Amino acid sequence: MSDTLVEPVEEAPAPEPRWWQRPETKSIFWLWLTLTIVGLCFSWVPAWLLGGSASDQMRDIEQTMTIFTAAAAPVAALVWAVIIYSLVKWRYKGDSPPPDDAPGFDTNVPTVVIWVIGSAVLTLFVFVWGLIKIADIPSAGGVAALPAGSAIPIEVQVTGQQWVWNFTYPGLGGIQSDQLYLPVDHPVTFEVTSNDVTHSFWIVQMGVKVDANPGAVTSTVVNPTTIGTFDIRCAELCGILHAAMQTQAKVVSDKDFAAWTAQMKATAPAPLPSDEGGG
Amino acid sequence: MKRWGLLVLTVVLGALFVGAVGALFSWASPQSRLPVQAAEVRGTANTPKGVLPHAFLEISSWADSMAGNCHGSDGGPQPDWVTFCPTTNFQLPANALVTITVKQYDGGEKITNPFFARVHGTVGGTATLNGKPFTQIDPAKVGHTFTMHSISGEGQDSVFVSVPLQLTDDEAVANVVEFSFYTPAAGTYYWNCEFPCGDGTLAKFGGPMATQGYMAGTIAVV
Repeated sequence: MSDTLVEPVEEAPAPEPRWWQRPETKSIFWLWLTLTIVGLCFSWVPAWLLGGSASDQMRDIEQTMTIFTAAAAPVAALVWAVIIYSLVKWRYKGDSPPPDDAPGFDTNVPTVVIWVIGSAVLTLFVFVWGLIKIADIPSAGGVAALPAGSAIPIEVQVTGQQWVWNFTYPGLGGIQSDQLYLPVDHPVTFEVTSNDVTHSFWIVQMGVKVDANPGAVTSTVVNPTTIGTFDIRCAELCGILHAAMQTQAKVVSDKDFAAWTAQMKATAPAPLPSDEGGG
Repeated sequence: MKRWGLLVLTVVLGALFVGAVGALFSWASPQSRLPVQAAEVRGTANTPKGVLPHAFLEISSWADSMAGNCHGSDGGPQPDWVTFCPTTNFQLPANALVTITVKQYDGGEKITNPFFARVHGTVGGTATLNGKPFTQIDPAKVGHTFTMHSISGEGQDSVFVSVPLQLTDDEAVANVVEFSFYTPAAGTYYWNCEFPCGDGTLAKFGGPMATQGYMAGTIAVV
């Protein structure tokens, strides 16, 4: 009987799990998925915070805000998931400084490819969407962009000067008002200017925000769709009472608008020889 | 635990510091120390809105701060600035009829926006100039305006009162402009001049036009 020397067999080390099999990857994935779903569920909130829609343009803005928020939800969720997991699981709790970490990665081709392609697709989507929506805005020279069959817009000259707005309706006998009256479902062209510094004419719930520049007239068109009273503010810091530069936009029925214009014409002073019109 | 205590203490001290700096700036602001002119209630008035208290306020406008005696005998920090006197901060009773008399001792020229050459928001849509009623003046003869408005975003009642003050040909003799309006509910409202009479900056809307105590101020409705 001969002794047979049996050399101990070294157990092969367990194979390193692939990156998607690591526990931290799985945890971060589920965290990301949860946060993404939460983000998608609440993607309507930013548009809701804008204060309601009173025009076609504002409806488009709200839609854009909601879609962009939804598109951003997975990206933001990934950042939050990594941050939350790192803070909870990889937090160093000792008193002394932690030992040096392992050297950083030089590169990781799959990560770079996913990152670049994902970012490019999202950016391209936002870019194309924005171009389409901007093209839809009927602004200076863009009245033709109004839907076919739209009525001829009412022209309203808007003048800002510290710290009030006033409105002139050249097509309605030149009536003037400190408040903006508009008929519902009728397009309006705003010709906006300033008598002093740069202001910004902002009808909050209609999605209209256009600079009022001294010496220049800027045009934009809006189609009010909701009867009600809405806020007009200055959105450009213009002096000590900038915050008080507010008035109201009143969108009324055709009948009420006709009554208002008749009343304004009846009470308007006779024009003076040297009166050159509004603003 | 000690770490959390220090964290909370740091936040509290930071908030106190920021608050103290804000309070210091507010206290140091000359505008916060402007005198307040209260309207004098002299009985009641029968109006379409019922019997209301009737209050009166008298102010004046001057070509520079040496005149009017409301910025001191040396004219104060800006003796060349055009100004209203005796102050630009007023206190009016709420839900009342208020009559304001302005003695306009200043000259003027053509206003850039004829909207403000017209009377807006007064009782009957009129004012009086040296006792004669008017609804507008020649836009080429505006000295200043008294323009008051509400802040709709704060839920205030809608108020807009604007009256042109016709220039005087002789600065020793005032044009007397008088107008009445109904005050809204209690709140802080603002008024200013809309005739560009400033120091040449910001299309003549700078300097006194943008400074409370000269051509802009607050109206506390109480």
